[in-house]
Parts: sequence; C-alpha cells; structure tokens
Amino acid sequence: MSALDGVTEAVADLSRPETWVLGVSAAFALFLLAALLTGALGPTYFLFLVGLAGMYALLSFGLNAQWGFTGLINFSVAAFFGVGAYGSALMTADSSPIAGGFNPLVGLVVALVVAFVLALLIGIPTLRLRADYLAIASLGLAEVVRLIVLNERWLTNGSAGLRGIPSFFQGWPVLSSFPEAMPGLRLVVIPGSPILLETAFWQSLLNVALVLAFAGGAFLVLRRAHRSPWGRVLRTIRSDEDLARALGKNTYSFKMQSFILGSLIMALAGVFYTHLNLYVGPGDLDPITTFYAWVAVILGGSGSNRGALFGGIVIVTIREGTRFLNDVALPIDPAPLRLLLIGVVIVAVMRYRPQGILPPQRELIWPSAVDGGGTPEPPDSGVREQKGSGGDE
Amino acid sequence: MSEGALPKEDAVLRVDDLQKSFGGLAATDHATFAVERGTITGLIGPNGAGKSTLFNLISGFYEPDGGTVEVNGTDVTGMEPYEVADHGLIRTFQTPRKLEGMTVREAMLVGPRKQPGESFLKLFAAPGAVGESESANLAEAERILEEFEIDHLATQPATDISGGQMKLVELARAMLAEPEVLLLDEPVAGVNPTLAKKLKDQIRRLNEQGTTFLLIEHDMEFVMDLADPIVVLDQGHVLTEGTPEGVRSDDRVIDAYLGGGT
Ligand SMILES: Nc1ncnc2c1ncn2[C@@H]1O[C@H](COP(=O)(O)OP(=O)(O)OP(=O)(O)O)[C@@H](O)[C@H]1O
Ligand SMILES: [Mg+2]
Repeated sequence: MSALDGVTEAVADLSRPETWVLGVSAAFALFLLAALLTGALGPTYFLFLVGLAGMYALLSFGLNAQWGFTGLINFSVAAFFGVGAYGSALMTADSSPIAGGFNPLVGLVVALVVAFVLALLIGIPTLRLRADYLAIASLGLAEVVRLIVLNERWLTNGSAGLRGIPSFFQGWPVLSSFPEAMPGLRLVVIPGSPILLETAFWQSLLNVALVLAFAGGAFLVLRRAHRSPWGRVLRTIRSDEDLARALGKNTYSFKMQSFILGSLIMALAGVFYTHLNLYVGPGDLDPITTFYAWVAVILGGSGSNRGALFGGIVIVTIREGTRFLNDVALPIDPAPLRLLLIGVVIVAVMRYRPQGILPPQRELIWPSAVDGGGTPEPPDSGVREQKGSGGDE
Repeated sequence: MSEGALPKEDAVLRVDDLQKSFGGLAATDHATFAVERGTITGLIGPNGAGKSTLFNLISGFYEPDGGTVEVNGTDVTGMEPYEVADHGLIRTFQTPRKLEGMTVREAMLVGPRKQPGESFLKLFAAPGAVGESESANLAEAERILEEFEIDHLATQPATDISGGQMKLVELARAMLAEPEVLLLDEPVAGVNPTLAKKLKDQIRRLNEQGTTFLLIEHDMEFVMDLADPIVVLDQGHVLTEGTPEGVRSDDRVIDAYLGGGT
C-alpha cells in the first residue's frame, strides 16, 4: 500500500532525484524478480526480507515523526522498538514469566500502552528544556531498558529471551489456520529449479500483509498529519521554537505529541518483529537499531515520509545484501562490511546531497486548501532543494 | 515613576515595577508604564537600555525577578509565552526569524491562532473543518500579502527573501494572529527607506483598524512620526514618557539618548 502510494506520488511530479530513485527501485525490483525466478532467492526468504523492510520503514517513520518533523533528537529508537517487541512477547509467549498466552491483539495494545507511558516519562522532564536534554536522556533510556531486559529475569527471562511466541494471527478466525490450509504449490519457471510455496511461505505472506498494514497505516497517518497546520507547527518548532511560542503555540504539547506518535510507531515495529521472528532476546535492543533508523532518515531526507520509507529499504538491502555476499562470494565477515558500506553511503549523501535523497517537497498546507485555491504549486526544483542542509546535521 | 505618565483609563498593557537582573546587571530596573488601547506607543532608548529585555519579560520569554505584567486586565506575570499570546499579545523579534524549508505563505500560515488543524485528532475526526479553516486562512494570508505588496513572494522560500521583506512578512504574519496589542522590536532596522515607508503606512493603517502597537525603534524620524506617546527607557528604568515633541525637547532624554546632540 504505502510503497504504491510512494511510487504514484513520485511519478506525479518527477523531479530528478525522484526519477533516480524510481529507476534504481525498478532495476532493483527486476533484479529481485530474476533472483526469485531462477531460484537464487527463496520466495519465503524474500517475503521475510519484505517484512524486514517494512519493519525498518516503521522505525524510520517513527524517527522521522520526531526528528524529521520536529527536530527531536531521540537516541532510544532501540528502546521503543524493544518495548514493542517485549511488550507483545511477554503477553503472548508460552515462556513468558509474567503473563503469556494472550491473544496477540492484547500484546499489541499492551506494547503500545507501555511505549506511550515510557514516551511520557522521558518527555515530561526533557521536552521543556533545550533539545540536547532529550538527546542525553534518551541515550540513557536506551541503556536502562536494555539492562532491565537483560537482568530482570523474573520479568523478562533475562539473557535466555522469550520463546514460544505465536504468530500474530494466532487465534483469529480463518487467518490462524490459513498457512496450513493452503495447498503446497510447485512452480516451475525455469526447468530444473522449481519454486516451492509451502506452509512457511503462506505464513510469511501473512506476516507481509501485517507489516504492510502497519506501515501503510502509519504512512497514511503521518502523511495527513504532516501536511497540515499541525505539521506546520512542528516544522516551525524544528526551525525556531521561540517563534512558535511567540505566535501562541504550546510548543511543549506539540513536541510531546510528536514524540509520542513517533514512539508508538517504533513500538509497532517491535510488535511486528516479535511475531515475525517468534523469539526475542536482549540482543534485539542493541543500539545498532537506533543507528540504522538514524541512517535511514538522514539518507532518505529528514522530514520526508517517502524518504524514510526509501531509507528503510536501503538499510535492509545493505544488511541482508552483505550477508548474501558473504554466503556466495566474499569471505568477509558481513558485520564490518555492512558498517563500512553504510559509512560510505552516509559520507556520499552528506557530501553530494546533504538534504537527503528525497527531501520533503511540498508545502505543509492542507491539500484541499491549496489545490482548491487555484494557486500554482511551486516548481519541483524549488523550495527546499537547496536549503535542506542547514538544520539537518 | 515617570512624571510624564498620564493615568491610563483603558490600558491594554500595564507593566508595574518590573525588574530583571542578569548577574549583577539590572537590565530592567523597576520599569512602570502602560500602553493605552488604540495607540501606537513608541519605546526608545540607547543600545542596551533594556528594551528587548522588557519585550521578553512582557511576552513571557523571561521570568521577572519582581513586578507584574497585565494584558487586557489579566495578570500574565509568569505565564508561558503561548498563554500571553492567548490573551491577545503578540511580539516580533529584533533579529528576523527565518523558517527553514518553508515558503513565505507557509510561514505566514503559522500565524493564525487556535487553528482547528493544529489539533492532531481533528485532522482525522474533522478533516472538513480543518480544510475550511485552512482555505480561509490561506485566503486571508494572500490578502494581507497583497496589501503589503509582497504577494509575488508567496511561494518563494522564506529563507531567500531580503531582510526588509522579512520584516514585512513578520508583520504580516503577526497580523494573522489577530493581536490586540502587537509588540514590534525594531521593525525597520536595516530596511530601505521605501520599504520603511511601506511598513509605516501598514502599521498606521492596522492601527486605524484597531490594533494597538508598542514599538521599539532607533530610527528617530520613523518613531517620532508614527508613535504617540513615546516611552523613554534608560538603564532599565523609564526615564520619561510623553509626546514626540515633549520627549525630543526633554533634557534628560537628550543627555541619555541623543548624547547631548541635536
Ligand atoms: N539573556 C541575557 N543574558 C545576559 N544579559 C542580557 C541578556 N539579555 C540582555 N542582557 C543585557 O541586558 C542589557 C539590556 O539588553 P537589551 O537587549 O534589552 O537592550 P536593548 O535596549 O534592546 O538594546 P538594543 O537597542 O541594542 O537592541 C544589556 O546590557 C544586555 O547585555
Ligand atoms: Mg534590542
């Protein structure tokens, strides 16, 4: 859904970077298709990758709503992701030391509530202060949440993590038995390398549907919220908070809303991950997740939802691509190669396109007001293209 | 405190015995004055006299060490800036505030207060109302830009316009907030005479339509022509207050401010 929207939007007014992104994406899609058809890429694994892409897209959407919209510096993406993952795992897993066995929908609600409370707890003391306080506090929060998960065995099972997590659709009518009910298919596109679609494939398909629903929903909400008076106040705060205050905006409240909204979306990514991976452990709260989300948002273009989506996909491509390279060709450990590649990408973007690949393009004015007014949209190349660099560091 | 002060029947802004120190320096030193509704009141004084500090105190950006601020009869001392704005007082800044990544009209649309679309919930619960208010605000913004003769800038990046145009946009945006009293900090600093004239006309016209102004300005010709009465600030306290003629011929003002010249 969201990817489609992104594409149609990009086609509508093809600026140069948009054409470029479209071209690269199309080439990449063809490449994946070829890999699928030749059997080089298993369809189930492919769906897993799509799920991961959706997950990273959610994380970057969340961070974009905080940093890209409002300029809030949140270094605890991993903590909110972890709260989402653990919140729903603790409610649903067999091995949960506290609850367990609940319907995943309960897990979803609990995860969101915990993320909401956590966002409030960190937002209340810091959002009235200068921007750096949130940054520092969030660094601490990430570590505190990770250590709690690691050490409070009565609550989280500690380093053993949580197993026995059901799929998200467990207990739903029809959908819970859908993977088993579907027949195993055997497709032969290229003689000699048949493609097998079995239970695991149908299960992955469900997961992809889930993440598309999450990410698509988040995208639509963010898109509407951003191109509105609400989003405009956030951008004013990002650029000059005192001006927003002088014009009668309760900036504390706006910052809190943006922070909570972003945190909830990050937790959503965690909920999805729990039911994708069916296991969560303290390692899932490593700061690398925060790092990836920041890279995705900066790469895509701070403040742009499409950019965040694109950045999320790039991250997954690099993450899994290096693993693939390691498997088939290079005897290099994927972890350092991954970081090296990300480093190169970041340096290149900062050098040649500091505003990101798909920076926000449109005015933050409610669409019906501009479209109905007959006033011409500013040219594609204009407005923010040259100006994005300043505040984005 | 100041002898020239007349009793103000209908004060839209009242500052009483306001104090603020930075370290040992009394930037505002028992300042007392009032701004009568419907006037264009000037606030002058040498560099460092405490004019901008006074604006910051009045608008809630600084917390006073002592004294009170009243807007429209309500004691707003210690309130947040947005709450002071809610009582009808809007201020601009001495250094123009640039809005990164916004067009001029977009920056203008930050002005209107209490827009339905500023509520996150209403974006989804009442999109129709949001759209209506947005259309109305956009039309109003474009009307004001036209009045200010800067409508050709509407879709320009707000960071790419000249300093003088920026001042005009700031005034225009402040007007969209529909203030009862508008505090302008050096509206024509660095503005060329033609634009300054335009600004002066706009301020006068808006004043005739009912907005009260309190303006800080170093350009004597500008302020003497536009403002009446004029409050003179020196070293944080109100030296005197009166008509432009009265102030101009006041020896203490000449000593403090005009450096004995003229
Ligand atoms: N935030 C602050 N911290 C410390 N000192 C300050 C602060 N703000 C103002 N001051 C001091 O208070 C005094 C008054 O400053 P203010 O900016 O109010 O002067 P002003 O009358 O607006 O001058 P100008 O005409 O140059 O704008 C100055 O001595 C200034 O250094
Ligand atoms: Mg000043």
